[in-house]
Amino acid sequence: MGSLDDLTPGKRTEGLLGHKGQVIKACVVLTAKLFFADPQWIIPSIIAPFIFTLVAFFLFGGQAASGSFLLYLVLGSGLMGMWGTTIYGSSNSIGFDRWNGTMEATLAAPIPLSWIALGRVLFNTFEGVINALFILAIGLVWFQVGFSLVSPGLFLLASVSTFLSLSAFGLLMCTVILLSRKGGFITNSMEIPVYIATGTMFPVSILPLAALPFAFLLAPTWGIEAIRLSALPGYVGLVTNYWTDMAILAVETVAYLALAFVLFKRVEAYAKRNGTLEEY
Amino acid sequence: MSTPRPDPNHAVEVRGLTREYTTRSFFGGVTKVTKALDGIDFTVTKGELFGLIGPNGAGKTTTIKILTTLLTQTAGEAYILGLDVRKDLYEIRRRIGIVFGGERGLYNRVSALDNLHYFSDLYGVDPTVARSRIPELLKAVGLADRADERVEKYSRGMKQRLHIAKALIHDPELLFLDEPTIGLDPGGARDIRNMIRDMKKQGKTILLTTHYMFEAEELCQRVAVISKGKIVALDTPAELKKGVRDIAVIELRTYGATADYVDRLKQLPNVVRVVAELDSEVQTIRVQTPLGADLLSQVVSALPPDAKIIDRTIKEPTLEDAYLRLVEE
Repeated sequence: MGSLDDLTPGKRTEGLLGHKGQVIKACVVLTAKLFFADPQWIIPSIIAPFIFTLVAFFLFGGQAASGSFLLYLVLGSGLMGMWGTTIYGSSNSIGFDRWNGTMEATLAAPIPLSWIALGRVLFNTFEGVINALFILAIGLVWFQVGFSLVSPGLFLLASVSTFLSLSAFGLLMCTVILLSRKGGFITNSMEIPVYIATGTMFPVSILPLAALPFAFLLAPTWGIEAIRLSALPGYVGLVTNYWTDMAILAVETVAYLALAFVLFKRVEAYAKRNGTLEEY
Repeated sequence: MSTPRPDPNHAVEVRGLTREYTTRSFFGGVTKVTKALDGIDFTVTKGELFGLIGPNGAGKTTTIKILTTLLTQTAGEAYILGLDVRKDLYEIRRRIGIVFGGERGLYNRVSALDNLHYFSDLYGVDPTVARSRIPELLKAVGLADRADERVEKYSRGMKQRLHIAKALIHDPELLFLDEPTIGLDPGGARDIRNMIRDMKKQGKTILLTTHYMFEAEELCQRVAVISKGKIVALDTPAELKKGVRDIAVIELRTYGATADYVDRLKQLPNVVRVVAELDSEVQTIRVQTPLGADLLSQVVSALPPDAKIIDRTIKEPTLEDAYLRLVEE
């Protein structure tokens, strides 16, 4: 055993992104390490997407489906996989600390909890990207889907923006889990309605009128529309204008973020008032 | 009336600290209010090693949680390094380190190195400093050779040493050690106590909670005894022991002593208190009495015929004897 003498004196960070950037990076890295440390990561990231794609393919016509419709299916399956991972992973981003016994250590950090959660949620949503990429790979290799996009640049922009909107939504769900230990019930029960409402598998326009306001309030609805407009030739969407979809997506994503940060403040105040946040 | 400013020589200043827990019914009505802290006052001077001792449920953890900004008080004030725990929480958190007892507070599926890098970023340690400080800390706590191993493979003692390294990662001025030796074997506990001494030598202020009275006596300059949410005594271990100078302690080490024997001892005249550890093969029994050696023959004759005394000594009362009197009064 050594001695605690002669340690390098501590010094606070002064980097370009400052402490917040450092925390986001650290949380992304730690969440990734924890994710890959568990061999079960293969189930949500490889096995589940494979099943999603198979079900979608056979449900919508099997061998009869071809051309851009196959790409429509693959994109839809990818987004379903991405959303499924987001809802489970992101909403548990901080809830995980409860059963891991690290909640006190996390709450004791000299930074608002929202920045820690943001880093964790970013990686958890990225797990969804792994999932979506795998579905795309299955589509390209197994079902020989042609991957010719209308505009690769706009497709990339819409995909990244949808990724960010899912992260923002995941952050919002994270507060639900923290505010109530029964929050998992709410977030889990949202999985299927959101699949339907965001139009991952079929156009939102065929939904009953009463369901449309809910669909319109979900940022991924607009992200999926923008992705399809930039990928599928002749696609007729809700708005049929890529930039309108992107603008609504951006506004709703910012609204989710703002609401999530406000709710995180409340969660921290609640935690300090009751001291029960670490109880599992 | 304005609140007096905290003394700059105090690392911790607590005035009238009160905390109530309210239990509510399903419909939101108040069903029970429990007072965990009942207006406690104490100060810890900069550079001091201060002990907070008390039975389970006495209010130690609640006090630590309020002082580390994890819980809000119902009434009273608490200042850490001159900062208000209600208003300056992030600045306080930057300047304090916390060691949680038990298995809490580490990510077991990743390595010690990963844990320390993560917490150094969380505490905003400059990455260039962290690159040299983390290996130095791992060496200091004797984990350098196993830094890349997953924490789940560590022994309890190794995890506790990692907790110490984690608490020191940002070079805090004040450390809160919440039962840091709980559940450790004697060697592991000794290592932790040596580290606590090292931290004290470096000029850190330390607030230690412990269940082990000899540990508080050995390490702490002053000790506060907390019972039922109130501080019932606060002094140096030597002064606290003066509260029981009217008694001596007969300490027996035996084979085959039973709970019945302990009950018989409690019935003897002039026996103030009997503390017994009967779980192991060799039992330790401490009998507090104002008669000292004069009671020894009665203590020995009460022993069951099949039991055997290995060792018997008449001792001066310890901090534990003083503590037991204080919390039972």
